[in-house]
Amino acid sequence: MDYLYGIIIIVGLYVILATSFNLIIGYGGLVSIAHPVFFALGAYASAILSRDFHVPVLLAMLAGMLVALFASIALALPSLRVSGDYLLIASIGFQLGLLELIKNVRFTGGPGGFTNIPPFLIREFGRESYVLLVLAVMAAVIWLIWWIARSDYGRAMSAMRDDELAFASVGRDAMWMKIAIFALGSGLAGLAGGLYAHYFRFITPEQFEILQSSAILTMVVVGGMRTTWGPVIGALLLEALPQAISFLQLPPSVLGPIQGLLFTGLVLVFMFFRPQGLVPARDIWRAPSRSGKTP
Amino acid sequence: MTAVLEVRNLSKSFDGIVVARDVELSLHAGRVVGLIGPNGAGKTSLFNLISGVVKPDAGTVLLNGEKLDGLPFHQRVRGGLSRTWQHVRLFPSLPVIDNLLIGTTDYPGERLIGVLFAPGRRETHDRAARAKALDLLGKVGLRGAADALVSDLPYGQQKLIGVARALMGEAKCLLLDEPMAGVEGQAYAAMQRLVREVAQSGVAVCVVEHNIGFVRDLCDEGVFMFSGAIMARGTVAELTRDPQLTELYFGH
Repeated sequence: MDYLYGIIIIVGLYVILATSFNLIIGYGGLVSIAHPVFFALGAYASAILSRDFHVPVLLAMLAGMLVALFASIALALPSLRVSGDYLLIASIGFQLGLLELIKNVRFTGGPGGFTNIPPFLIREFGRESYVLLVLAVMAAVIWLIWWIARSDYGRAMSAMRDDELAFASVGRDAMWMKIAIFALGSGLAGLAGGLYAHYFRFITPEQFEILQSSAILTMVVVGGMRTTWGPVIGALLLEALPQAISFLQLPPSVLGPIQGLLFTGLVLVFMFFRPQGLVPARDIWRAPSRSGKTP
Repeated sequence: MTAVLEVRNLSKSFDGIVVARDVELSLHAGRVVGLIGPNGAGKTSLFNLISGVVKPDAGTVLLNGEKLDGLPFHQRVRGGLSRTWQHVRLFPSLPVIDNLLIGTTDYPGERLIGVLFAPGRRETHDRAARAKALDLLGKVGLRGAADALVSDLPYGQQKLIGVARALMGEAKCLLLDEPMAGVEGQAYAAMQRLVREVAQSGVAVCVVEHNIGFVRDLCDEGVFMFSGAIMARGTVAELTRDPQLTELYFGH
């Protein structure tokens, strides 16, 4: 059962990561690869605060979310002032630099990783309670992004993606809207980081490297950008498929490469045959009262 | 009478090419000024300088006596300076009605505090904004197109929607960039009526337009621009009679 719980939690966390990244790249139109770094920031901040500073785990998790949120503002503010393209470049630098820093300072545990992270809920209420917590947060995040996309704010995001100059001509500030979107998406990744850290209780810097960036991007692209269920399906598929293969009892030396092949293979197949992803997005934003149902 | 918009000594050049040379311009409430001149005279550039899309090298822009210098475009719009675009620039992913609704300068539905803590105020705002948008669409004969997509409408109607969107905020000064280009028939008459009505409501209007008939019918004053400088001012009839200006305009 523990193995199954682990898988459910991992899939749930990746749904949170893909859904929040969909807000950034899909609805916000912001190209960044640094999503795993905000996941890492949330995980490390929450782990360090709870283990070394004895902050209650729940508070530490929320603090981890805030650390990711403010770090993302610090990254977005200077790059978006120049132009949207700089965010991608800055995010690559941020990803590489911060992981290097984590590997080279003592209080993060260095390249060996950070161990003995205090558990949460499991000792008092069993592993099931933690699974429920992750699923509840996952549902809340899906609902939040769905609600934002169909609200007046979603309408403004659509208009901003259409034409930034016209967006300014109706008195709106595209830069602050982008920063807000980036901060919210990154903050949610930080929350997922905290949830990861206190269940698995061990984190290493290499878990958050550039391979993770492409994994999350693939989930969103294969599932379908700018849709509610696209990233969810993408995350389920890309996490569950490699897990399914591991049941084949192949030796680890073969399993790793096969998972990698599967992953890149999927991206290629989708790029050729279904670039809009499994769940295609509607091109037109409609007010909820007229369209009525969940996209 | 104090000017709603005042432009003083505005200058700008790009790599030696002068687009504005010591431009002085005053726009008054209720009056329509026509900005005419050949292509490349700097008319649209002047709009870009006034609205803050492009930063001037020198000079000042005042709206109701307050300096706008250094303010970004969107803040000038919020202050009451509205403009339209030569190539419309509507939002293709939004239905017509939402293209207008997004033109309001107050939008509690996009603020978390407004959504969570002041739902009543939001409803009042939405109702008022919708009424205003439908009223504007009615004025240009497009009320029936409220739920249509902008890309499904003919170009002339898109232009009308562009002007209507610019009027959704509390505009004190309206800059219209070639509102008539590509507009014919019913849309032409509707545009004329709309601009006249806007001016009568006390908005200061400036129109860049090549359609001299439209300018003559509508404008209280004409300003002739050539290579970034204002060459002459007067009634449109006076300007079009001047043989020297005619030569500059047509280039023979």
